[in-house]
Amino acid sequence: MWRFIGTRVAMGALTIWVTTMLVTLLIHAVPGDPVQIMYAQSQGTTPEQIEQVRRSLGLDRSIPVQYLMYLERLFQGDLGNTIRGGQPVLEVIMQRLPNTLVLAVASMFIAIVIGVPIGFLAAYREGTIVDIGLMVLAIAGISMPHFWLGLMLLFFFALELGWLPVSGNGPMNLILPALTLGLSNAAIFARLTRSSMIDVMNQDFVQTAFAKGLPKAIVLRRHVLRAGLLPVVTMMGLQFAFMMGGAIVVENIFSWNGVGRMAVEAIFQRDYPIIQGFILTFSVVVVVVAIAVDALYAVLDPRIRRA
Amino acid sequence: MIMNRLALKQTAAALGAVFALAGPATAEDIVWARYGDIDSLDPHRATSTLSLQVWSLMYDTLLAMDAEGNPVPHFAKSWTANDAGTEYTFNLEGGVMCHDGTPLDANDVKYTIDAAFDETTPSLTKGSWGPITAAEVIDPLTIKLTLESPFVAMIPFLADSFSSIICDTNGEGFGTTTAIGSGPWKLVSWTKGDRLVFEKNADYTNFGKLADNPGAPYEDGLIITVVPEPQARYAALTTGEVHIAEPPFDDVPAIKDSGELDIIVAENTGQNVFWEFAVHRPPFNDVRARLAVAHATDAATAISLIYGDLSIPENCPISRGVFGNDQDFCAQYRPAYDPEKSKELLAELGYSMDKPLETALLVWTGGNRQKLGEVFQAQLAEVGIKATIEIMDIGSLNARVRQENENTEGTTGSMDMMTWSWYDPDILYALWHTPGAYRGYTSPELDAILDETRVLTDPDARKAKVQEAMKYLLENAIHVPLYTPGWEWVFAVRPEVEGFKVAPFVYPIFSDIKIGG
Repeated sequence: MWRFIGTRVAMGALTIWVTTMLVTLLIHAVPGDPVQIMYAQSQGTTPEQIEQVRRSLGLDRSIPVQYLMYLERLFQGDLGNTIRGGQPVLEVIMQRLPNTLVLAVASMFIAIVIGVPIGFLAAYREGTIVDIGLMVLAIAGISMPHFWLGLMLLFFFALELGWLPVSGNGPMNLILPALTLGLSNAAIFARLTRSSMIDVMNQDFVQTAFAKGLPKAIVLRRHVLRAGLLPVVTMMGLQFAFMMGGAIVVENIFSWNGVGRMAVEAIFQRDYPIIQGFILTFSVVVVVVAIAVDALYAVLDPRIRRA
Repeated sequence: MIMNRLALKQTAAALGAVFALAGPATAEDIVWARYGDIDSLDPHRATSTLSLQVWSLMYDTLLAMDAEGNPVPHFAKSWTANDAGTEYTFNLEGGVMCHDGTPLDANDVKYTIDAAFDETTPSLTKGSWGPITAAEVIDPLTIKLTLESPFVAMIPFLADSFSSIICDTNGEGFGTTTAIGSGPWKLVSWTKGDRLVFEKNADYTNFGKLADNPGAPYEDGLIITVVPEPQARYAALTTGEVHIAEPPFDDVPAIKDSGELDIIVAENTGQNVFWEFAVHRPPFNDVRARLAVAHATDAATAISLIYGDLSIPENCPISRGVFGNDQDFCAQYRPAYDPEKSKELLAELGYSMDKPLETALLVWTGGNRQKLGEVFQAQLAEVGIKATIEIMDIGSLNARVRQENENTEGTTGSMDMMTWSWYDPDILYALWHTPGAYRGYTSPELDAILDETRVLTDPDARKAKVQEAMKYLLENAIHVPLYTPGWEWVFAVRPEVEGFKVAPFVYPIFSDIKIGG
């Protein structure tokens, strides 16, 4: 078990290391001089100032030296300062990362609480009108773009009914963005749970359990559910990363002050230190979640932890 | 069920109380929603309109702008200059206080200018202050600025928020978490990416800023919040969460018809939207190709189609409200809409409807500019110019335009609908004096004219020189003006808000606002 987790952590560290290299190269991958672009519409900025910014970003050094400088600063917890405003990047990201994580966790909770039971019910009633109805609903959920669903929820709950606020960052403000992200992901979980459960229900050990005369509820809970949830757990890890990415659109609609919106603004403003910091932070979060999911997977499936 | 609802309401109320700080504003607060946030509270660390608008509320400036955009006394009640235009002495108002209770005087002005010219961290707009070599405190209410050479654009600059006076008691955290100014609104907090909270400066005296209110703002608080999505801003306006915001463009006619919100359009924004061309390669290295585009463009029809009466055509390379702008003068030289003339010029260059002039047409995203681009594309097609629209964010556009100017190979043209704003004709220097903001068109002749626009102290002589520069740019179709204003100039205002107005260069004024009359 520990060996398994150790391997995963080592692979995660490798992923992050590769990300640090890509992040350093990023600033050079964009056509044109990045510093000139940043100040293209700043009337009154002198060439000496532009040179100074280039030096402060280390852009006057060779790429390997830049990378080492970046690593050195990184180990000191320094992600640099934002170009616009000069604030420490780490501080700017840490102000907003909790908001995005709260949104992702809340959405995941909604997705699981709604998606898994629906999938389970559809599998249990496979081929019936209930199954077909639920799956049509799920397909509709998957097909709905976030921005459309978000705006519809906003108009209905905030504008028509006036139950919830339109924008902001309080707990009441969390409900609509979390529902938007959660509902479309619930549809994905519902479909996945259904197919996985059907697969398990047709397996010999389940048939044997039924043949032994065990009550249906016990067979479903002890045998089907545990085995059938394995692919769902895997999907949870992937979907969490997806939600962090998908949150960008939702954050924009509901003015949720998360890192996704910050990244989009930084891209428009060519604020490279923020973009670099965001990619790195994002990769760390995704790696940590992936390791956690792998560990959970190992707990659920003895075959994996023994492998 | 009733019990459940009750419980839900109670829980929500409890949560609301716990998170009251993040919740909606109190009844006395004015709430203004914008699409984005400021970059910094320090006026030396940013250049965006979003930042400028906020600084104008927190800080004072030596001078202010009147409704026509002319500099008038403010914290400086008068000023004198020597004949050479290299020494300016400002006499300051007494009794003005910073938000921390310390007096605002000449030492704060010197502190601000020294910070702008700091060797390690100069202001981003250092060049716009002019060649200031010394700021000398004569006495607490008199300051003298010495310039290396005359720079007439300094006076309007001192009326703009870029020159906001920073109190010398600002220290650790200034710009990122704290800011002490002397303006009508006092900073309470800034949550980056979310909101700025202000309370009124009860001791404020307005000497010259464009507000009817001579003293402190009428309302107690002001919240400037970030709502990026236009439909969400509209929804927040409708529910009353927000009092003032830029509405979605396509909904403006419906809003006007319904009368549920007032629509206020800013005037004299200084914004100029124009054609410019990649001039270092064919086809636009030939003035006839540039003129062909200019003659094929019917800006008035296109703008009316897309913006209705919200925006107007502009004849000058500097927009209304900026010194030197003269519509009649510019109309004489701006290539008029004349498709036949355009076809003749294209024929001279060997192009026809069967063999069209091909060009990329670069457009900045947002504000319905992509739709406007399509109308222009259709107009160009009518004379035999095949323009391929490419839509991109402003950062990419800036990069791309410069790249296109640096590319001298090939025969496919590149032109773009560029957007700039500045309070003084010195903008033309930034754009078209060697080396040029985008490394585009430059010439020794134009350089000489633009050099003079910076040093002529006599307003009439300077105006004549500015007009000479505009004539040159228009006749050579280097800078083909299309319309003004071009972005963030429409405000939807809730009916209970009285007294909201927008000063020149898109500075909203909140001191006159009374909510609910």
